[in-house]
Amino acid sequence: MSESTHGIGGLTFDAKKRARPPELNVLFALILIIGVFELLGAFLMGQSFLFDSADRFDSFLNEARLKIIILQVSIIGIIAIGSTQVIISGGIDLSPGSVVGLTAMIAMSFAQVAEVNGNPNPKAVFGPAWMDLPAIVPLVVGLSVGIAAGLINGLLIAYTRIPPFIATLGMMVTARGAAKWWTKGQPVSFPTEGYASIGQGMMPVLLFILLAVLFALILRFTVYGKRTYAIGSNEDAARMSGINVARHKVLVYTIAGALAAFAAVVLSAKNLTAQAGMGVMYELDAIAMTVIGGVSLAGGRGSIVGTVLGALIFGVIISGFTFLRLDAYYQEMVKGAIIVGAVVLDQWRQGRMAAKM
Amino acid sequence: MKKVWLAASALALLTGNANAETIGISMVSFDDNFQTLLRTGMEEMAGEMGVDVQIEDAQYDVAKQLDQINNFIASGVDAIVVTVVDSSSANALSSAAEAGGVPLVYVNIEPGNADALPDNQAFVGSNEIESGTMGAYEACLQLRAAGKSNGANGYILAGNFIHQAAVQRTKDVHDVIGMDMCNFIAVAGEEEGKWSRDTAQNIMTNWLSTGEPVDVVFANNDEMAIGAIQALKSVGTDMEDVIVVGVDATQDALVAMQAGELDVTVFQNAKAQGSGALEAALDLARGEDVDQKVYIPFELVTPDNIEGYISAN
Repeated sequence: MSESTHGIGGLTFDAKKRARPPELNVLFALILIIGVFELLGAFLMGQSFLFDSADRFDSFLNEARLKIIILQVSIIGIIAIGSTQVIISGGIDLSPGSVVGLTAMIAMSFAQVAEVNGNPNPKAVFGPAWMDLPAIVPLVVGLSVGIAAGLINGLLIAYTRIPPFIATLGMMVTARGAAKWWTKGQPVSFPTEGYASIGQGMMPVLLFILLAVLFALILRFTVYGKRTYAIGSNEDAARMSGINVARHKVLVYTIAGALAAFAAVVLSAKNLTAQAGMGVMYELDAIAMTVIGGVSLAGGRGSIVGTVLGALIFGVIISGFTFLRLDAYYQEMVKGAIIVGAVVLDQWRQGRMAAKM
Repeated sequence: MKKVWLAASALALLTGNANAETIGISMVSFDDNFQTLLRTGMEEMAGEMGVDVQIEDAQYDVAKQLDQINNFIASGVDAIVVTVVDSSSANALSSAAEAGGVPLVYVNIEPGNADALPDNQAFVGSNEIESGTMGAYEACLQLRAAGKSNGANGYILAGNFIHQAAVQRTKDVHDVIGMDMCNFIAVAGEEEGKWSRDTAQNIMTNWLSTGEPVDVVFANNDEMAIGAIQALKSVGTDMEDVIVVGVDATQDALVAMQAGELDVTVFQNAKAQGSGALEAALDLARGEDVDQKVYIPFELVTPDNIEGYISAN
């Protein structure tokens, strides 16, 4: 395939975009934000943000802070991987937060232990026959819930032609209602050790990185990935070049559902509980991570690497605020400003790039 | 869509037991742990009493709650029971119910107009100011007993500041540690854990990464207290050295207390509040006199008296 026709369906390959990957800008932003926190830390707190200034660790970095920066964004990061490919395909998914709530409730119901401290499990959902099951059972049940939700999203969008915003908004409301209905709002707690181990320690980080690498490769090198970009860039062109757009969209949303469900399993395993209110607003954090990471809401542009960097920016901001003892009221105000600021910068950069061409 | 749903609920009301009284219930939230205990408790009791109930979720929205009350009045319920979203919004609810001639009972959360309720209205519940104050005071006592009265680092995990309980319980902690007896506690961190175990766990881990010691954690609910405990345990903290305070006395919290991790929580009697409210609503609907203000106090739960609470909620 020659350089000029590298894209799918006759889309021309844009050498300039490859020459200077937008992810580099996101990386600069990340370093810049860390620098700001280091400076403020030195002046206001007399402490370093990332380095071990208090001599509490053997290494010269503050390990505890590095760990929490990534740990606290890993679960939403898993959702953001799904959102990234949805947004690249030109769509949007508002349902993952609610799918997390529903999946956590249902999966956890199949992950309970029969006895807690020698007493029967006070939060038992099912009878003893359904307790102390191997972790694979709740995992499979949970993933099935997410796949079903994603499949419904995809089918609605692909075949009834309603906008993704509406279809997934419907799923967002429905799945949250179902999450509350499952146990009438009662939390589900006390999982088996096997299930809990999916979310303990740095497991969420490991799983996030594994999934990020997997999907970065899929989007970059497989037919699935190339079709996703093609549909997001120009849906009509993609259709005319022979891509089954409807079928591909179903796949994209189903995968997003499965990833949301996986995030729910990790979240409930990490917290040893499932609550009907779990995951509220997660979809918006996930979308914010992708957008900060340079994924265009217009579709066709962005990458998993960008999203991972976007997630890290999120994590750095959360930890930085706590580090600086910034009042809780201001945290959300600043966070909102950073999300909008990132997109403004990105638009401005895009405008300049377009002007150069 | 709303119309269809209304028609369906009206149909449900009509087809219910024709002779039974119908009570409309508007809950502040369906996914809050305590509200769920209260709601499921009232549902069960209504079944036993032979009363039909229609329960709505106000989702922490003052306006939605007022709409629900007006819908109840329009569909002709015999009485209304409410856990009010914001106590200062209670006047609007009281006027709507009064104008509609339907008895109204506030349950659990004290309305701002509790001292000036119209004749066919009542309040059965607890005073929110007690929960945060009792927990924080007990923590202060335990810290003094542990010999930390010459200085202790405290951290506050607040709920969501758009909810009144979070604002009140956080203020209570500040009030208690403002007393001479407890002013050895310094607030080293205060953040919105949004009632969530996961958020609280992340915030606590961030606090731990600053390297400051942790002597006491005041959480606005048990979920966040457990999140803090999970974070403290993950860095190998000896839970003997840290006082952790929650509110609600949930099953999860009691298990954590039995394991020696949670030190203080505060119990709210969901069953007593729910049955008290239903009975008051029925009495009002039948034109009988009721006590317009019934307080059911919060109760402190510590490892010393936990046995009495294991199956209480």
